[in-house]
Amino acid sequence: MPYHQFKCSECIPERLEHAVDKGEGEDLTHALPLGYLNTIPGTISERGCAYCGAKHVIGTPMKDVIHLSHGPVGCTYDTWQTKRYISDDGNFQLKYTFASDMKEAHVVFGAEKMLKKNIVEAFKAFPKINSMTLYQTCASALIGDDMNAIAEEVMEEMPGKKVFVCNSPGFAGPSQSGGHHKINMAWLNQMVGTAEPEIYSKYVINYIGEYNIQGDQELMKDYFHRMGIQILATFTGNGRFDDLRCLHKAQLNVLECARSAEYICDELRVRYGIPRMDIDGFGFEATADSLRKIGYFFGIEDKAEEIIAEEYARWKPELDWYAARLQGVKMCLWPGGSKLWHWAHMLKAEMGINVVSVYTKFGHQGDMEKGVSRCEPGALAIDDPNELESLEAMYELKPDLIMTGKRPGEVAKKIRVPYLNVHGYHNGPYKGFEGWVRLARDIYNCVYSPVHKLTLLDISKDEIPTGKGFETPQSYSDLNLSDDIKHASDLRQCTSDYDPIPRLRAKAESNVYTFPHPETGEWRVVPVETLRKSKVVDVE
Amino acid sequence: MESGAGGDIEKEQSSGCRIIKRGLEMEENVAKEKMSQLEWYITKHCLWQYNSRGWDRLIQNERILTKTKQILNGENAKEDDSTSDRYYWSEAMSLSRAFKKYFPWLEETSKEDIAQILNLLKERMDHTMVHASLNKELTKQQY
Repeated sequence: MPYHQFKCSECIPERLEHAVDKGEGEDLTHALPLGYLNTIPGTISERGCAYCGAKHVIGTPMKDVIHLSHGPVGCTYDTWQTKRYISDDGNFQLKYTFASDMKEAHVVFGAEKMLKKNIVEAFKAFPKINSMTLYQTCASALIGDDMNAIAEEVMEEMPGKKVFVCNSPGFAGPSQSGGHHKINMAWLNQMVGTAEPEIYSKYVINYIGEYNIQGDQELMKDYFHRMGIQILATFTGNGRFDDLRCLHKAQLNVLECARSAEYICDELRVRYGIPRMDIDGFGFEATADSLRKIGYFFGIEDKAEEIIAEEYARWKPELDWYAARLQGVKMCLWPGGSKLWHWAHMLKAEMGINVVSVYTKFGHQGDMEKGVSRCEPGALAIDDPNELESLEAMYELKPDLIMTGKRPGEVAKKIRVPYLNVHGYHNGPYKGFEGWVRLARDIYNCVYSPVHKLTLLDISKDEIPTGKGFETPQSYSDLNLSDDIKHASDLRQCTSDYDPIPRLRAKAESNVYTFPHPETGEWRVVPVETLRKSKVVDVE
Repeated sequence: MESGAGGDIEKEQSSGCRIIKRGLEMEENVAKEKMSQLEWYITKHCLWQYNSRGWDRLIQNERILTKTKQILNGENAKEDDSTSDRYYWSEAMSLSRAFKKYFPWLEETSKEDIAQILNLLKERMDHTMVHASLNKELTKQQY
């Protein structure tokens, strides 16, 4: 087993089995780091807690919901939805966060009365919002407040209001992943099957494990709608509370982030017989294969092929412009849980980027299986690294950039390694064909930005060049390119809009999407109002 | 009856071909080399082999790779119109399309050899993803 020994972790021997070097000719039976284990005492983990995993990652992308944490205000603030999980109806979920604001006196005497008062107050303050997610924290779990009972009382006293309770305190698992699991199961057990949806197409999917980061979901939704597919609910990006109560009525669960949402897919398969289809929405070939696969399922592969052809014609010349200039770039791909495997191979195949390391803070061994398989020999795979290990890896591997979240990203910047934010994104969306070009552009700008040359200079001792002219990214990227590529008329830089989402929403407004009637099969326009908010009927 | 008789003759002919073919059956190392090419594609492009429990992976491997073999050999790969069967078939259609695109040698490979290669592939996937897997979550009872 080619474990990787970090020098900085020699004093923490348990860390050894959490990092491996992928060797030439080796497969998953030779190399796999441990994963999803309690953080080892003495190593400072970058993980989030189980409450954060439930609320921040999965609960709060829901858009028409009051998200209230029963606990100290700090828990709420630190999970305030800042990850650009946008919605198409005003971003209520980004603008507001709610806490019961527990204090010492509540810990001693109980906080149930205060919680009920706060729930009622929140509903009255936002009378148009009829649903709430209520999150347990460590403090409220330890004193044993019965949040479910309070929720029942409120629902009885305020007809029409619905409260979902998530009992996932911060200590309920090794990392945020424990919270993903708990909220998956809680939603399935409490909410799924409590409402019946309006079905307007013959082809109906749930889009699971998709969080609409900077509009990812809305790009993919455009493809699905062009194929005539109804998205019953998205779990949970840009998702409506009531739609998500109807998950049991889809014909197929299309799953993107298996790390955070495979549980609900697996259970929907067991309980309701809905198949789980894992897809990759990142990369041209991966997106095309995914659309094709969904097309096969519904017998509409011709529709998929039309979209693939249109999107390739529109965007491939732009991807190729960047691919010509990114060949051989070295990258540490250090996202959260799923992007390491969504991206590792597509970055190599479609941009020529060498992924020299993958890591995950909260992934399981299953994520590492995918990540290790999809990167090339020589790559270093790390589970739950501490900051010193990350630094050591960067010094050793000398990447041209790292793609990660904002906390490790800031560390990278301190040692002059360019960093691209792939949690909240720099200039997303990154999904689909257009999104992949946007990612290529952001990588290009990150690697070749002239500012990085300046950051390598120490103004206290280095001579600052003053005689040089103005430099652009192309001054560096085109240095060794052949004239054929430099002047290729069929390649061009990214022409995506600064923000493509308003364009997609305007497109929906013009009622261009047609769907086959669920019974007659007749294709007809379904109005945008229905696409945005289809009817849902409560089940008694 | 004539067509039936004709069918029998065809069967006999095809059976005869198989006997001859068996004599020329693809050598195991050649079959393994071709199998490893298909395995490379799956590891880089597919996700269906990674379901989180071992029993689930065995079912995925069996259903998808069997249907892929049938599709590549021009046989019927649909058992019924259940959503479950349609799902496995869709994965298999996608996989066989990609195999043909990436590995043109498949077009010139006999049905028997394709079956041999795909059987090896199934064995290999079961081995790597389940029986010899280092993933400690595969044997957990609940999702």
